[in-house]
Formats: sequence, structure tokens, C-alpha cells
Amino acid sequence: MSARSKAPASARNGLTIAVFAAVVLSMPFWLPLIGGYEALATKIVIWAIFAVGFDILLGFTGYLSFGHAAFFGTSAYTTGLMLKHVSADVLPAMGASILVTVFLAFLLGVITLRRAGIYFAILTLAFAQMFHVAALSIFQGWTGGDNGLTMSTRPELLGIPMTGLNVFYFAAAIAIVGFYIALRIRNSPFGLMLRSIKSNAMRLEYTGVYVRAYKQIGFMISAVYAGVAGSLMVIYEPYVATKFLHWSTSGEIVIMSVIGGVGTLIGPMLGATFMLYFQNVVQAFIGEQWKLVLGIIFMLVVIFMPGGFMEGLRRLRGAVTPGGASGAGADSTASARQPAE
Amino acid sequence: MTDHTGNNGWSRRRLLKASAAGTAGLGALALNGKAPFHFVRNAWAEEAIGNFPVKGKSVVFGFNVPQTGAYADEGADELRAYKLAVKHLNEGGGMLETLKPSSLSGQGVLGKKVDYVEGDTQTDPDAARTSARRMVERDGVIMYGGGSSSAVAIAQQYLAQEMGIVFMCGLTHSNDTTGKDKRRYGFRHFFNAYMSGKALGPILANEYGKDRRAFHLTADYTWGHTQYQSIKDFTEQQGWSTVDNIMTPLGTTDYSQFLTAVLNSDADVLVLNHYGKDMNNSLTQAVQFGMRDMQKNGKDMQVVVPLYSRLMAQGAGASNIDGVYGTTNWNWVLQDAGSQAFVKSFEAEYGFPPSQAAQTCYAQTLLYANACEVAGTFYPPEVIKALEGFEFEGMGPGKALYRAEDHQCFKDILVVQGKGPDKKSGEYDLLDIVSHVKRDDIIYPVDTFAGELGPYKPA
Amino acid sequence: MTINSVFLQLLTGLQLGAIYALIALGLTLIFGTLGVVNFAHGALYMLAAYCAVIIAGKMGFLAAIVLVPIMLFVVGIALERGLIRYFYNRPHVDQILVTFGLAIVVEEVVKWIFGANNIPFKLPAWGNGVAFLHEYIPFLEGFVVFPKWRLILVAVSLLTVFALFALLQFTRFGLIVRAGMREPEMLRFLGVDITKRFAIVFGLGALIAGIAGVFGGPITQVSPGVGMNLLVPSFLVVVIGGMGSLAGALIAALMLGMALAFTAEIASLQQIIIYLIAVVVLLGRPRGLLGKKGVME
Repeated sequence: MSARSKAPASARNGLTIAVFAAVVLSMPFWLPLIGGYEALATKIVIWAIFAVGFDILLGFTGYLSFGHAAFFGTSAYTTGLMLKHVSADVLPAMGASILVTVFLAFLLGVITLRRAGIYFAILTLAFAQMFHVAALSIFQGWTGGDNGLTMSTRPELLGIPMTGLNVFYFAAAIAIVGFYIALRIRNSPFGLMLRSIKSNAMRLEYTGVYVRAYKQIGFMISAVYAGVAGSLMVIYEPYVATKFLHWSTSGEIVIMSVIGGVGTLIGPMLGATFMLYFQNVVQAFIGEQWKLVLGIIFMLVVIFMPGGFMEGLRRLRGAVTPGGASGAGADSTASARQPAE
Repeated sequence: MTDHTGNNGWSRRRLLKASAAGTAGLGALALNGKAPFHFVRNAWAEEAIGNFPVKGKSVVFGFNVPQTGAYADEGADELRAYKLAVKHLNEGGGMLETLKPSSLSGQGVLGKKVDYVEGDTQTDPDAARTSARRMVERDGVIMYGGGSSSAVAIAQQYLAQEMGIVFMCGLTHSNDTTGKDKRRYGFRHFFNAYMSGKALGPILANEYGKDRRAFHLTADYTWGHTQYQSIKDFTEQQGWSTVDNIMTPLGTTDYSQFLTAVLNSDADVLVLNHYGKDMNNSLTQAVQFGMRDMQKNGKDMQVVVPLYSRLMAQGAGASNIDGVYGTTNWNWVLQDAGSQAFVKSFEAEYGFPPSQAAQTCYAQTLLYANACEVAGTFYPPEVIKALEGFEFEGMGPGKALYRAEDHQCFKDILVVQGKGPDKKSGEYDLLDIVSHVKRDDIIYPVDTFAGELGPYKPA
Repeated sequence: MTINSVFLQLLTGLQLGAIYALIALGLTLIFGTLGVVNFAHGALYMLAAYCAVIIAGKMGFLAAIVLVPIMLFVVGIALERGLIRYFYNRPHVDQILVTFGLAIVVEEVVKWIFGANNIPFKLPAWGNGVAFLHEYIPFLEGFVVFPKWRLILVAVSLLTVFALFALLQFTRFGLIVRAGMREPEMLRFLGVDITKRFAIVFGLGALIAGIAGVFGGPITQVSPGVGMNLLVPSFLVVVIGGMGSLAGALIAALMLGMALAFTAEIASLQQIIIYLIAVVVLLGRPRGLLGKKGVME
């Protein structure tokens, strides 16, 4: 990484963003060609936002959170309640959701980041599960319990109804901005700090860096992505399920990240796309045994492609142009291979 | 799988419709189904709602059932019934012969061949909505049905209202489905917890005495809550008292801590407001705790499972359900012509008798198709009106009524007792019908539950 | 609260803890020795319960008690040789994910073959019914009963724990395994063939899951999802106890069992209690109750 000079990196970033934007914005046109449909495109984009944010935590700092559902779900409930009781406009709802997420992430970060590794994972899991249970029982009156929270109002953005493609382009714009910010973070001194935490937090501490602050900020940024995704999910479909807070939602984002390629930013989004495409399109062709097939694919990817799809792509590229991609490949593989230690 | 590509225009249609709906109001609805067919079609051609108008030579139904998760077996049975319903709609047979009054021809619906797509709810409200939405947007279904949990049904019902697609509920027993969460676009043929309570209360009092003390264990979600409330109300009317209720988390595997609480109380009846696996676990463990061979307050302790299904009984095992009271919507041993026609064709197709989930799904599909024929169109507001207040027979014992005000179907239901291993005559013979409760005995005023159906045209 | 109810709740807590302990023991043994986080452990339990219900139905319950743990031992060794050993040097996240994937595959295959519905698991006659505790314990007042099977489960759990500790404490195999838990690298340098022992340890963990499946099956019932349901609580037990600590797992299992038993009538607390305990313990003790420094951090 360090060998790269700054100017080419930002030029590369520009190109990456342009290609990314083109692919995302044209999704409603190409996705139906491969059996998808418009609403799926929106859902993919929303999960991609979640995945990019998750990679800022897992990929950069190496902290494996099993509790990101807490941010995704809490934000979704906030948005839902705002849309239902305050205003049908999405801006105040999203604003409130982000505020709530930031506050929550601050609190949880202060508590959970005192631990690392599996203990951090379990702490975040425990908190998220408490939220889930509370939404199901104690706060049933607010959340609708297992029935979920349903709004009959259609959300709108400054008078534009948020339906169909409108939601898609709104979410896509946020995804592009979110991806751009993530790229900037990766190449910034702050991003470098985060990645140093992953390689050796102890040494960093000895050099006088206040590691906790960096971790905390990284955690919060990542949570905001999850919160934005949760909020968008409700705008896309005016319904909040308690499952949004369940550990399986956290698990899903972990799975997406790993099969896509942790630490690559693009990879987790690829993973999200694959998972949603599989669950919604391929599933219908396989029928009842779709989960079995997904489980097998999932195992095969973890066994044979430790760096996820991104490693697969690199190998493919390496096979086509020997030596050409090896530099970047080695670097990313190394970062992908040791998360959460 | 059908080829449907008219999706890109969908959102635009919705926009037009959304802006027009506010002003047009009910004016357009003054047209009714009695107008000549071709005229009606033209008049409604611009009034697109959901996936109406139906293009092409076939019409697509969506069947959204649990294919994975805890209720997958029930879902599989529902799907069998749906496939059979489609077959009968296209080729005749089954309850098409017994339903009265019927406008069904056995040659498709409104001249179109019936096609279907299937989806997986995963017994999860969120997944169910996703799947339903996919059917609506990608596959262009005109109606969808299914579900094996009240939370799942309610979530889909709200979606139906938003999208303007009629939803014919599958197995859902919560009072909320046609109570506080009732929707104009949702219809329920299955009975509910209130009817279970009303049917079960007197029989329990008669059998076990009027001075019983009941302890409830209740699954902590909409269905559990409403069933607890209904059973409590109706048993208390009979003179019982309710000692306590514990809300148990959905999917609990070990109930011993709750059963210990029951043991510690002075209750002499245990009511298990659980369904599916929860019921398998809680009942089996209650039996292990000796609750069926115990004496309390000088009486034999009893266990009651208000909602029964054959699959559940199978899972709990014959020795555990032996003599346990509960209610059920329908059972394959019923001898009326409609039930027999269905059971025979189902057995001929699959080799074993259908479950109550299968029966309700099958009936719902036929009822929807029939309403389309009656309305003379697939236009949802007209189909809904045709279903509202529809009275029919030949789909089970007695006459049935789809009440217009809450979209709840009222018909005879069954109070049953589990059959022990020595009494049952085969693998599927698990429930003994104790009483055939007539429709008039379980009907209730529409204002028993709050809630609004909402408009005929989705907002 | 009367003496009776306190006693019953203690007993309930003990037996709830017993089943968590049986599953967590295998998990933590595998982790402590091999450094592998096995998310498929719940699936092994489920597999054991299915084997048990089938064998018990055909050949009687005693046959199941003998055969199922042996079968699971073989399954465990096959699993270790066929899959797990390739993951010793991979990150824990990869281990978690591959075993999680395996758990899904096993669950779906079982569902495919046997259906998603519950298979009733009948207790053997000798374990059926309730024990009249008031006849044996003098301080209990009046009438106090508890299912015999659950008392048997507690006994089996205790026996398993003792057997495992004895194995680790008094045999050469145990010595090497314990050394391996402490310093796996050193052992390798010393030329001890730990590969073979790794497989045996994994098999042992699976065997304990087998015991849990036979005796727990009639309680938790036999359906494809039963393993997944137990996964999160038993994992919490392992972590609260401290990854890799057998004694820690036992204490944690007992803690969770008791907490669940004593909060039974306070629904809102009961449902979060195990997570609450996890949070409190991990904040107070960074590596769980008896965890070692540097493990999984």
C-alpha cells in the first residue's frame, strides 16, 4: 500500500468511482436482463451501503462486530416511527435516524471497544440481541412486536413520492457518495491509522497514538452506514421487522463481506449483490432446496477462496495477464486473510 | 414460471393512479359488475390497480408459503393444495363440483388459463413481504396467498393493501388478522382465536368443571396474545379463574423454568397458547413434568392446547396428545360432500390426506377465482365486493359467510381431542372430533375488534 | 417464596445448565485444544438427536446410548480429517463461517430427508414419569415432583464432566492434550505427533455432543432447527466461561441455567438475562470467567 504515490491513487479513485456509478445507476436496466427486477436493484444498493460501512470496521480495523443489526434496526425503527407519527418526508426521518445511530454507536463503542477479538464480537452480539428482545417484548407497543411496524403513509422527498425508481436513484446516489467517502477514508491518514490498529494495536499505542479514539470513530462511521441503510430500507418498503435487529442480520452482513472479500470495499458489495440475487432470483429456480445450495456455495467459497470473490477475480486476472495484477493482489489478500484477530 | 415483462411501467402507473385516487374517489366505483363485459373492460382499462389489467392468455396467482424454517412441512402441504386448486380451476374437479353458488367453469378463470408462481416466506414476516413483492413486481401476480403464521399474514396483508393485490390468507389464527389489522385487500377463511375460545369454553367447563384454575403459557407474539385473551375471557365466563400467564419467547426449546412455575402455583389446568414446534416442546415437557397424571386441588390436572393441527399432533406424538382438548378449522375425516371431494382428489394426487392448512389454502384459491367470475373482471375493487358478504356452501360442513365488514369467514369449526396410540387407526388419524360447533354459536359482532378495512383503491 | 419453590427452581436451573454444559464442553474443548471455533457443534447435536430417535425406535434406547456417541465420534474424526484440519491456520472468522455453512448444509439435508416437522422422541420406560422428591428430601413440604428424565440428564452431565476431567488429568493422552492447550507450538517442536490427537480431540468433542443429543433429544425434541437454537446460548456459555476453559464453561452454564430458572416469571427480564450476564461478565472480566490471556483477542 505504502508504495503507491498519492496522485495515481486519487486518479484511480476517480476512475473507480466513475465505473461504480455507471454500474450502479444502470442497474435497473441490466438487472432485469438476468432475471432480476427493479425493486431488487433498490434492495441491493441499500445492502451495498451497509456492506461498505461494515468493511470500514471489519476490513480496516479488523474488529468483527456481530451487532451491526442494532444500528440497522434501531435506525429503521426510528425512520418508521418518524414517518408514521411526525412527517411523511424522508429528510427529517433520516436525520433523526442518523442522530440516533450516532448516539447509540457512541455508547456501544465506548463499552464494547474495550474488548477485542471474539469477546468484542460476543459483546456486540449480546447488545444487539437485547435490542431485539426488547423490540419484541418490552417495546411491543412501539415496534408492533413480531407483526412488525407498518405505516400506511407513503414516504416522500420534498414532495416527490418515494416509490419505484425514485427510491432507487435516491439510494443509489447515497451509495455512490458513501463509496466515495469510504475510498477517501482508506487513502487518508485516518484510514492508515485504522489499518495499523489491525496489524498491531499495541505497537501503535506505544508510539503515543490514542488508539481508542481512532477505533471509536471508525466504529461510529461504520455504524452510520448501517443506520443509513436501515433507514433507506424503510423508505424503500414502509415496514420494519424485528428481524432487522436479530443476530442473523448481523450474520448476513458478515457473510456478504467474507464471500465478497473483506477489506476491499468493492468485495462486500459484490457479496451483498450475490446474496440478494441468489435469495431472490436463483432461489425460485432451485425451489425448496435453495438454502442447501446456498450453504454449499458458501462453504466452497470460504474453503477455496479465502479472499472471497475479489480473490477469485484477481486469480482470474492473474491467469489472463501473468504478473500483471500480482502486486495489488498480494496486498489485498494479505489484508483479507487476517480479519478479527 | 411465467414470462412477464411489463414491469418497467409499473411505478409510473402507480404514480398516475396515486394522484388520481384522491379526487376520483368512489365515483368510478358506481360502475358495477352488471355492465356488459366488454364495456366494463374498456371502462377500467385506464384504472390500473396492482397488476390489473391482466395481459395475455393466462392469469398468474402467487403462492407464498414457508418452504424453509419451522413450518416448512405445513408450507409443503399448502403448496400441494394450491397446485391442486390450480389444476381444478383449469380442468375441473374437486370442490368445483360441490361449491354452491359457483360461477366456476373448470376452464380457467374469465377465459384465462390459471398459472402460478411460488415463493418462500421462511416463516418470517420480512422474507414473506420480500417474496410477495417479488411476485407482484416481477411475476405480475393478480393475487397471492399463503402463510403459516399470523405475523407473516399480517405483514403480507398490509403489503397487499399498498400494492392493490388481493391477498387470500392461509393459516393465520390471530384475532388481529381480521381485527385491528384487517385490510380491505386481505381475506381470511381460517377461523380465529376468538372462535376457538367461544367454542372451547363451554366444552371445557362441561368436561372439567366450572371451578378450575388455569395457568397459561403463551407464545410472545400477536397470535399468542390474542389467543390468551380469548381463552381467558371465555373460560372466565364459565367460572374459571386465571392464576397467571407467562409470555414465553418464540422458539423456546426448554420450557422447564416455566413449567416449574406452573408446578409451584395452585393451578389445576395448564393452557398452552403455543403453536408448531413451541407446542411440540411445551406439551411434551409438560407431560414429562407429570402434569397429566397429577392431582391439584383434589382434581386431576389437565392440559389444554386451544389450537390444534394434525401436523402438530404428529410432531408431539400420539401418547402426549391423548385426550388433550383443542380446536381445529377442519379435518380430513369430515363427511360432507365438499370435504370428501377435496380429500379424495388430494389423496388421489399425493397419496395421503390433506391438513387443515391445505384445506384453507385450497378453498381460498377457489373462492377468489369464483369472485372474479362473479364480478366478471379481475379489477380488484369489484372482486373484493364480490367476496364481501358472499355466502356459500360445499367447502366444508355447513354454510359459510364471508362477512363484508371485516373479511372474516364464518363457518362451522371443530372441537377435537387428541387420539392416543391405541385409539388411532392410522398415521394420519390423530384427532377425534368431539363437537361440531355451528357457525351461529361462534359468530361475534363486528365491533368486537377495532380496526379499519381501508379504501377499495390503494392509497 | 417457599422452600419448595426455591428448591424446584434450583433444580430447574441445574438441569437447564446441564444441557448447556454438555454442548459447551465439546465446544470449548475443541477450541482450547485445536483453536477452532466450531459453529457446527449445534448441528452435531441435532444429528445425534436424529440418530438417537431412529436407533431408539428400532433397537431400543440402550442401544442408542451406546451407539450414538460412537457414531458421533466417527463423524467428528471424519469432519476433522476432511475439513477442519485445513482451517487450523486460517483466521477464526473463516473457521466460524465454514462451520456455519456446514451447519446450514447439515440442517437442510436433514430437513430434506426427514421433513421440517418434529419427530416425537419417546422416553424409555425407566426414565419416564416423575420422581417424588418429598419422599427423599426431608425439608420439602408436602408434594414436590420433578421429571425423572431431567434428573438423569443432570447425572449424565456430571458423569461426562468427571470422565472428561479424569481423561485429561490421569492419562498420557490427557497430558499431551493439556500441554497442547497451553503450548501447541512447543509440543510440535518436541516432536509429538499431535495431528492424530487433534482428530481424536475433535472426535471427543463430537462424542460429547452425541451424549447430549441422546439425553437432551427427548427434552429439546428432534427437528432440523434444534441445533441452531442451542448454538447462541451454548456459545455464550463458552465465552462467558472464557474460551478454552472447561471449568469456566461449567460455571457459566450453571450461571445461565440458574438465571433462566429464577427469572421465569419476569418475562421482560428472562428474555434478556443471558445477554445481560454476558455483557456484565465480559466488561468485568475481559476474557470471561476463567479465560487465558491472549486467546482470541
